[in-house]
Amino acid sequence: MKKLSLLLLVLLFSFQIMTSNEENHSDIHDLMAYVLDPAAETIWDSAGFVITEEGELNLEPTDQEGWDKVKFGAKVISESSYLLSMPDRAVDQTQWVALSMALRVIGERAFKAAENKDSEDLFKIGAELYQVCVACHQNYWIKED
Amino acid sequence: MKTIIRVLVCLFLTAFTFQIQAHHAFTAEFDPNAPINITGKVVKVEWINPHAWVHVEVEDGSGKIIWMVEGGTPNTLIRNGITKETLVPGAVIIVRGYQSKGGLCLPRCIANGRDVTFPDGSKVFMGSSGTGAPRDGADPREPKRK
Repeated sequence: MKKLSLLLLVLLFSFQIMTSNEENHSDIHDLMAYVLDPAAETIWDSAGFVITEEGELNLEPTDQEGWDKVKFGAKVISESSYLLSMPDRAVDQTQWVALSMALRVIGERAFKAAENKDSEDLFKIGAELYQVCVACHQNYWIKED
Repeated sequence: MKTIIRVLVCLFLTAFTFQIQAHHAFTAEFDPNAPINITGKVVKVEWINPHAWVHVEVEDGSGKIIWMVEGGTPNTLIRNGITKETLVPGAVIIVRGYQSKGGLCLPRCIANGRDVTFPDGSKVFMGSSGTGAPRDGADPREPKRK
């Protein structure tokens, strides 16, 4: 009975993997939702200020573990530029690839900022990262009217 | 038989995992047909990327509610003249913007801010350019309609 269950498990998982590869397994949406977005959020959430009547809270990491998370996110951003530029994903070889490569530069700068524990620079880089996101979305995603 | 049923239940749950939605565009979260004016006291300002958030306490007949207003990037706000020195807790401001889809205020009301009017009467664009927000004239950088 156990062997039969195991066989059934393997067959059904194989079927699921096959169908997911054919459809949405690695499309741009998934790359954004599961790879780029979480990495970008790590960078954005690690620099800035929250101001209330009680005072000001600096969001920069307070320990090495926090900075390491930023470094991880930064590397994911920079290496994702190559995933975006793969031939079956690149919409064109000009602007699409140029914007993807802009992510690589920003990711590397964020990595250096994290190495230097420079939250001020990380804050500026976070804004530039968003500008690249918007520039790409304007051209390839957001449709107005 | 019980083992097979358990395996099938596990596979069913695995196959129908939730899909995460990435939210960037205006229309993903806000309703262009639900404009709103919010007048109240600033209680909290979050200077974070990719959007600054201004928390505004509004008093109505039934009590106080907090509106969380999404703005542009902190750098954009600073370039427009909205700074940590001008947008301070306690200041009474008027925000013109759009409500979140559904208009629910649970647990807090959420809006996308287009411009903010300060106590001295100055009005400044506080939104993001190029995110698909309505071309309502608030953004001085938005392209003119043809």
